[in-house]
Amino acid sequence: MFLRILKKDLKRKKTMNVIMLLFVILSAMFASAAVNNVAAVTNGIDYYFKISDVPDAMISVDLESEECKKIEALPSVTETRKQKALLLFKNSYIKHNGKKVRSYINPPLIISDADMPYNYFDNDNNKIESVEKGTFYATTQIGDAEIGDKYVFDIGNTKLTLTYAGRLKGALFSSEDIANPYFLLNNDEFMKLYNEPELEEKTEETLYVNTTDVGAIEDLALENVSVYGMDAFRNIYLYDMIAAGIMMGISLILMITSFIVLRFTIGFTISEEFREIGVMKAVGIDNGSIRVLFIVKYVAIAIVGSVIGFFCSIPLTKMMMKTVSENMVLGSEGGVMLGALSSAAVILLILTFCYGCTRKVNKLSPIDAVRNGQTGERFKKRSSLSLGRSKLPATGFLSLNDVMSAPKRFGLAALIFTLCIIMMTLLSVCSLTLKSEKILWLFDIPTNDCTLGDLDFYNEVIKDISKQEQFFKDTEKMLEEKGMPGKCSMQVGSRYKVTHGSREEKIWCFTNNGYRNDTFRCDEGYAPEKDNEIAATPTTLKTIDAEIGDKVKISIGDEEKEYIITGTFSSFMGQDGNAIQLAPDTKMYIGPFTYASLSTMGIQIKFDGDPDAATVKKNIEKLKNELDTDKIYTPTELIDSCTQMSGTLSAIKKLMMILTIIVTAMIVVLMERSFISKEKSEIALMKAMGIRSSSIIAQHTLRFGIVSLVAAAAASASIMPIGNAFMNAICRNVGDVSGIRCDFNALEVFGLCPAIVLIVTILGTMLTALYTRTIKASDTASIE
Amino acid sequence: MNTVLQTKGLCKTYIVNKRQNNVLKNIDLTISEGEMVAVMGPSGSGKSTLLYCVSGMDRLTAGEVTFNGKDTSKLGEKELARLRLDEMGFIFQQMYMMKNLSVLDNIILPSVRSKKNKESRKKTEERGRALMKRLGIEDIGGNDINEVSGGQLQRACIARSMINSPQMIFADEPTGALNRASSDEVMNELLSLNRDGTTVMCVTHDPKVAAKCSRVLYLVDGNIVGEKEMGHFEGGEKQLRTRERELNNWLMEQGW
Repeated sequence: MFLRILKKDLKRKKTMNVIMLLFVILSAMFASAAVNNVAAVTNGIDYYFKISDVPDAMISVDLESEECKKIEALPSVTETRKQKALLLFKNSYIKHNGKKVRSYINPPLIISDADMPYNYFDNDNNKIESVEKGTFYATTQIGDAEIGDKYVFDIGNTKLTLTYAGRLKGALFSSEDIANPYFLLNNDEFMKLYNEPELEEKTEETLYVNTTDVGAIEDLALENVSVYGMDAFRNIYLYDMIAAGIMMGISLILMITSFIVLRFTIGFTISEEFREIGVMKAVGIDNGSIRVLFIVKYVAIAIVGSVIGFFCSIPLTKMMMKTVSENMVLGSEGGVMLGALSSAAVILLILTFCYGCTRKVNKLSPIDAVRNGQTGERFKKRSSLSLGRSKLPATGFLSLNDVMSAPKRFGLAALIFTLCIIMMTLLSVCSLTLKSEKILWLFDIPTNDCTLGDLDFYNEVIKDISKQEQFFKDTEKMLEEKGMPGKCSMQVGSRYKVTHGSREEKIWCFTNNGYRNDTFRCDEGYAPEKDNEIAATPTTLKTIDAEIGDKVKISIGDEEKEYIITGTFSSFMGQDGNAIQLAPDTKMYIGPFTYASLSTMGIQIKFDGDPDAATVKKNIEKLKNELDTDKIYTPTELIDSCTQMSGTLSAIKKLMMILTIIVTAMIVVLMERSFISKEKSEIALMKAMGIRSSSIIAQHTLRFGIVSLVAAAAASASIMPIGNAFMNAICRNVGDVSGIRCDFNALEVFGLCPAIVLIVTILGTMLTALYTRTIKASDTASIE
Repeated sequence: MNTVLQTKGLCKTYIVNKRQNNVLKNIDLTISEGEMVAVMGPSGSGKSTLLYCVSGMDRLTAGEVTFNGKDTSKLGEKELARLRLDEMGFIFQQMYMMKNLSVLDNIILPSVRSKKNKESRKKTEERGRALMKRLGIEDIGGNDINEVSGGQLQRACIARSMINSPQMIFADEPTGALNRASSDEVMNELLSLNRDGTTVMCVTHDPKVAAKCSRVLYLVDGNIVGEKEMGHFEGGEKQLRTRERELNNWLMEQGW
């Protein structure tokens, strides 16, 4: 009997069932893709580390030093691997088609295939055993390179022309543009460069160890030694986690939307069949059996929809993982199982949800059900509006009256449309924020007009920080001579020993030297101004068990000095959320240079007199020509290259826009179709009274127009608080941050996105409302 | 007297499950201004279909219907809608009303929608109230439609049908869902309207209702098989009983 009822129902309500099926497909598709995405990034890191044979810790240390010997001698250290890398302090050392290679701010490193401390992989995820002579691999930072392109390594008296063999993937290489790029060469060619006098003493040495106790190495508290364990390794993939988190959030919104639509459809289906329910109750069929009758249909739809959704999630997952898979070697095992499991979870969730929605059956007495079925109650009560007193035109009045007479039903529609708009705008806001000047302060650099990122220009400062003051003077003089006077500043950071009471930690400390036109931003307290003041992230305060007002000791070089904590700040810099900001122009000590002991974001330039955007653009172009470099970035370009998420999110945003249009159209068709079906008697009556079909279509269209306008207003009012909360929650994974205010494109967020939903709603309703033309005035007689 | 409604060779056929069902067969009918015509007949004889076809609520299969000199079979949906709105009034057995409007708003709705009506919304409301007063339901204007009795609601439906001062009112079993007292009240209102010059066509099963009409048509299987001129009902119990007796005898002859 169940099958007969199901068959009849599927036939009778074809449109509604098809739309419902589509929503189940979407829910399953997004649930599966989102779960896969998050799982791939979280479990994928473990998998990647495993196949790469990543050691337990990486220590930046002179391999011939006493410190290194001390570490090797530790009983907990079971295995050591060593790597020497060449640091290139000039971008002009490597040329492609006669030009310096593409943007990077920090110095690139050259490594040898004879010295691979863990497994490296090529673009096709094959393990690199050796590098063919005359070729080289590189990490993403020389991105525009094509395999087979010739690159000239021209250093001192050594000139090598090498062919680009493809991408180099290494579990501990950061994919950020701002990170140090790596070039993997054949050992013979590496040695030629290694023996080049110009690169003398410019080696970066790293010790990799397998140990049962990373803490024991840290406890040695060796000077000029930085220790990185598994937690630090994982931090390399934090920005990938941001993208995964954003997609998870969007998937969640889509699933909520789907469930609200399901709730609406189920409620509607039940009220449509009050009479049947009444008759069944009257003849003695119990509530459970009646509810099962409804559930049977949803079982069929949920199973079919989830299976289709699971298969549709495969290409979606691939698209979402595009960026991640470029940087990682991801295993395929588990993905299918996870996808299938999440689809199964969707089936269960839908069925539980559906069963809950059929509770109404229990509340109805047989006579209620039959009576409601007869009168086909559409509007239970009227609104407080009065046609006689209203100034609105009749169609407008009737539309508004309909909306206000059924606030729950139309409120639900407004909620769904609000979620649809938020789905679009949230991605827009997130992608824009992740390349916006609004988060410049999270990188602890002052407001500026451009950043000079060409090492050729400032490598002397990196090598010897004491030259910084003179460097600023020379640069500012050069700017003035070129007719674009401006001031320079530079952020410098290094890890120093910080002591508070019995707590002792190595924490990244930063300062900004040179011009600073705005006060450092503190969430609590005030920014450090005097040379004995510092600000710290809340995480740092926890780490060293201190509070604002406490005094801590910091060892900078040979000098240990006492500092007072004046405030807390948010930062993407540092490690594991630990960062300290020193007062501006604090004299930093950068020991014998290692890339792991200095952090910089290039040279920031602020032109005098607050020039407009066009002048700044002109100045940047002029500077590029003067300095023969393309490595001059606007703040937006700098942030974008740091986060690298904006591009991916923009692509997903476009997909989401298309998807939202489809989802909104489906919701509109589903709702309007069910409204028409419920209001058949009213429509027939209006026609009998002589109201034209076009007026009825206009009335139906207008009321959805009102609903989508309300939704647009609600979405516009809520997007910024939601966006800010969402962004802060996501970014908290990267650093210790709070108080992020999202950037937004007003036209897109408050204009285009709501307009898309409004247009789709109006068009969808209008086209669906054409169905009212099939209802005739004479149907008044045949309506029960 | 002027002819308000005329049909020639009116046919209506429904095709259900590939079966042809000829509901109305070559109906020729003329209704003059001021008449009150009752249409009677057994269930399924085509009474309501005839009412819907002549009022433009349903399309004809063949033949023609002229209302006020206009061939409605040739009018488009828009023109038909305007005709129904401005020149016709409708009363149904089920007292259909918009559930989310008050009784008064339901009554004035056709007038608000009518392009013929140039008066202010306030004036229309006043007119609606005046009509309600005339029908004895002035107290229920602000009520929800589910807060009033069936008789009151049907009188509100009559008020709604009258709001645009139609030339003719079509009533499909207007007392079918009412008790005797309410039924009498509703018929008295229709009679009163008719006396004021409004033509009425009324489908009914009830000989007591039909006895108040000036002419009775008897339909069987889509054909008008009998027609009885009754003359205008002047009022009074005695005359009504006489008319009822005459009508019942005639109906018996028709096979009622």
